[in-house]
Amino acid sequence: MAHIFQVGAGSGGMPVLDMICRDPRVTAVTLIEPDILKPHNVERHPFSWLDVGQPKAETAAAWLKERRTDLQVKLFVCDLLDRDKQPEIEQAAAACDLGVCAADNEVAKFHFDGLMRRAKKPWTLGEVLSGGIGGFVHWFVPGGPCYGCVASYLQRATDVDKSPPPDYSQPGGPIQETTVPAPMAAIHAVASLHALISLELLGKGNAYDPGFTSLLWSLQKVPDVFDEAFRPYRFRVPRAADCLICRSAGSDYRAATPEELDVALDQALARLGRD
Amino acid sequence: MGLLDSDLGKRRLLTVEIPVIERYNEDRDPDFKIQLVRLGGTLVLRYKLQPMHNLYQLETRLVSSYPMVPPETRGLTPLKHCPHLLEGQTLCMWRQGSTRMTSRWDPAQFTCVFAVQAAWRWLACYEVWHETGEWPLPEAK
Repeated sequence: MAHIFQVGAGSGGMPVLDMICRDPRVTAVTLIEPDILKPHNVERHPFSWLDVGQPKAETAAAWLKERRTDLQVKLFVCDLLDRDKQPEIEQAAAACDLGVCAADNEVAKFHFDGLMRRAKKPWTLGEVLSGGIGGFVHWFVPGGPCYGCVASYLQRATDVDKSPPPDYSQPGGPIQETTVPAPMAAIHAVASLHALISLELLGKGNAYDPGFTSLLWSLQKVPDVFDEAFRPYRFRVPRAADCLICRSAGSDYRAATPEELDVALDQALARLGRD
Repeated sequence: MGLLDSDLGKRRLLTVEIPVIERYNEDRDPDFKIQLVRLGGTLVLRYKLQPMHNLYQLETRLVSSYPMVPPETRGLTPLKHCPHLLEGQTLCMWRQGSTRMTSRWDPAQFTCVFAVQAAWRWLACYEVWHETGEWPLPEAK
């Protein structure tokens, strides 16, 4: 009797969802996915041309129900950051046994991390590298390193992107690089690892310790990046004492009500400038 | 779900960003203190820097999705076009890639005052470039 809470049912998220939900221990799944299936998705998705134009969440639910009639599926056809849906999303996170993140942008990964930490639930994250040259799988437990700790550590410890610098002619925040789409086989290789680690974590809970917290798996030999294909790189990332993402959870404002936060913020803005 | 309209964002401001701004301002000449202004869903830091002989007015914007996306800093004092100046007088201070692997901004380690310090370094480079035609630091890769 396990409840999975997953964000993302794209080309990487759908195979993870499918593999995890085949496990008989999984009896319920809550899925957040805002997108509709587009023609260019079909190449890397289990869905067909007949599904183009349909919400991916609904197509995913139909796929699961065709294989697991007993599975309870709840959908949020909205963005993970949708402000109006946050109370329901928080409830879904609190009700789950395991979170599975298959989001492809940093803001969503950080947001999912916050949800899982507040709900005190374990979760996993899969990431396919540009071009499908390899991929990461990370797992997280309450009290362990947060996504901020891991991202900060890996930003310095690994160098897996040798693409040319982005074009800076369009300022205004992060620049979307032109990435090389990964082939479906590479996506499924990383998704399989993601599903395996998720199911192991679900079964063993706090006793889970495969000897790493982040696994990087090379799928191709790439000069200056990966010396050889099909090689695992294991990282045991510690929780960073100075991490600004998870450190503030123990601050003075932890128990403050929304009204108290507003008052404190207004006072700070009055001290530091004009509001 | 942003910096100013979520409890999470407000806690980040109250426990991380505002304390470091107040520490920065402590005992500093009033003309050089950071002023913090709310503009809709964005917070703006307004301040002056003088890395060498010239005084510059700048503003650093913390957009709604800050700190997951980096702050943007632009010069209010007119700057001569140079290789590291973007449209709208925005300072190119770090590689603002959209993935963890390509971004030099680290929300787990950096605060808005880091952006102010980065702007100071950028302006020091700008003054050298203004005199010599050479940017003294290597390109971001």
